[in-house]
Amino acid sequence: MTGDPLFAHGLNLAVWIILVVKVIAVFAIVMVSVLFMVMYERWAVAWLGVRHGPNRAGPRGSLQSLADGVKLFFKEAFTPARADKVIYKAAPYIALAPAILAMSIVPFGGTITVAGHTTRLQLVDPPWGILFFLMCSGVAVYGIMLAGWSSGAKYSLLASVRASAQMVSYEAVLGLTIATVVVVTGSVHTSAIVAAQHGGFLWHWNIIHTALIPFALYSIAATAEITRAPFDLVEAEEEISGGFNMEYSSIGFALFYLAEYANLVVQAALITTLWLGGPDGPRIAGNSVGPLWFFIKVMVLLYIFIWIRATLPRVRYDQLMELGWKRLIPASLAMLMIVAGFQVGRWWGLAAFGGSLLGFALLLRAIDVGQDASAMEVQISADAEIPSGRGASS
Amino acid sequence: MDQYLPIVLLLVVALAFAAGSFAASKLLGPSRPTGAKTGPYESGIVPQAPVAARFPVRFFLVAMIFIIFDIEVIFLYPWAVIYHQLNTFGLAEMAAFALVVFVSFAYLVSNGALDWGPVKKLARKAPVNLTRTTTSTVRRVPRPDQLIDGMSPRPVDSEPEPTAEPVGAGAPEA
Repeated sequence: MTGDPLFAHGLNLAVWIILVVKVIAVFAIVMVSVLFMVMYERWAVAWLGVRHGPNRAGPRGSLQSLADGVKLFFKEAFTPARADKVIYKAAPYIALAPAILAMSIVPFGGTITVAGHTTRLQLVDPPWGILFFLMCSGVAVYGIMLAGWSSGAKYSLLASVRASAQMVSYEAVLGLTIATVVVVTGSVHTSAIVAAQHGGFLWHWNIIHTALIPFALYSIAATAEITRAPFDLVEAEEEISGGFNMEYSSIGFALFYLAEYANLVVQAALITTLWLGGPDGPRIAGNSVGPLWFFIKVMVLLYIFIWIRATLPRVRYDQLMELGWKRLIPASLAMLMIVAGFQVGRWWGLAAFGGSLLGFALLLRAIDVGQDASAMEVQISADAEIPSGRGASS
Repeated sequence: MDQYLPIVLLLVVALAFAAGSFAASKLLGPSRPTGAKTGPYESGIVPQAPVAARFPVRFFLVAMIFIIFDIEVIFLYPWAVIYHQLNTFGLAEMAAFALVVFVSFAYLVSNGALDWGPVKKLARKAPVNLTRTTTSTVRRVPRPDQLIDGMSPRPVDSEPEPTAEPVGAGAPEA
């Protein structure tokens, strides 16, 4: 089950060539999908906003994002005088690398045989499987944090502190909901997770097996994790004028932009893998068309991301943190216990459900008590405040 | 070991792409740095003070609380992988573990450690202080350390003293 059959007979020249082709293919998939995604988003947002999207560069403006990318190469790249030079230069690399690496564990479906060597349409299937994705999203925090900190500007620092608190908060939700999938599947291998959902369109998918709620929790947390609207407080123009990458110009900015959209595409691919059966789908004309189904699912998910961006206003920072800590984390922990309970038996599941309700009641009381405690602090600080002074802000 | 190789190769490709982009940008783009360009952007205002080394302690608190949950998540994975073998025992084990984590979480929440709320929203819940009156709450008198030389510590909205010159009246004539 584990590992790619490509390496079954050791490394020889043919295997090396296939390997390099696969690596470049995955890299190209990420790059092309980012270019496409930027266009897709601009078209879709324009369509949702009843206005013209980009329509000058190429047919129907389809080369617009390529034109933007080429333009950025010709822009001046300068380092702010107050920047911490080494970290400032390193941050785009740290942001970009995990975004691209996370794509390597995504199974696109099926195997192919080239020159007698069978290989999966998946770059790598490591023993730590989905944990690799959690690692990548953990490292991605560093890219943003270091970029904002090293820029030597106030807005950048605020944005990066915001970003790291936000990403770190929602990472716990991601971890707990992915653990729900692992409980159901019994494996951290992405290939095994996909294989367990195979057969029977929709019915065997984890979205049904885990009773829909962990999927919803994961999707919300994923949106926040990639700092996407409506959780894009990292880039709130009105408050911090552009965010952590504000002091980056030219290609430095382009790489952050690339990383952001690569993260978006990777998240869509992982939602498909974890919850929507990956490449599972009905055969078309007797042929198994896994990659096609995978592509369709990712497209639909990406459209939903854009749709959300076009529809919902940005949340406030306190709403973001409250949603993450006081709603999503307890809910995902409860859903993990409930799903685990139902895996053992119906009564155990109901017992876990009852326990979760008790926990919910306890949490409501704790939130109430906590707000009283904070209110006392607010009053104390309000008493000490000078009349014309600004209010306490976070 | 073979499973690490493609990841290392992909990492090399990604880093090479970024390095190549920077090199291309250096070759293709102009380089004419000026003081205004390399200064920090603060919405067009010339920055007066260096970057604040301090930011709200709540962010540190979140980072610390996160560690509890991240470690919990890490412990969950080995358990989740062999969950079908552990069965009821596994469920009981994890229920006990989740309970401990949840109780500590509830304790944190009940201390207000995760409250970010706007001050106004929280102040609505603040208990009424009976010793406060309009005169104690609405302080219109500047503090002694805020007084400009020669200014008398009188309430701002009261009638101006007849002998006092109106503030700013002398400026246009001078």
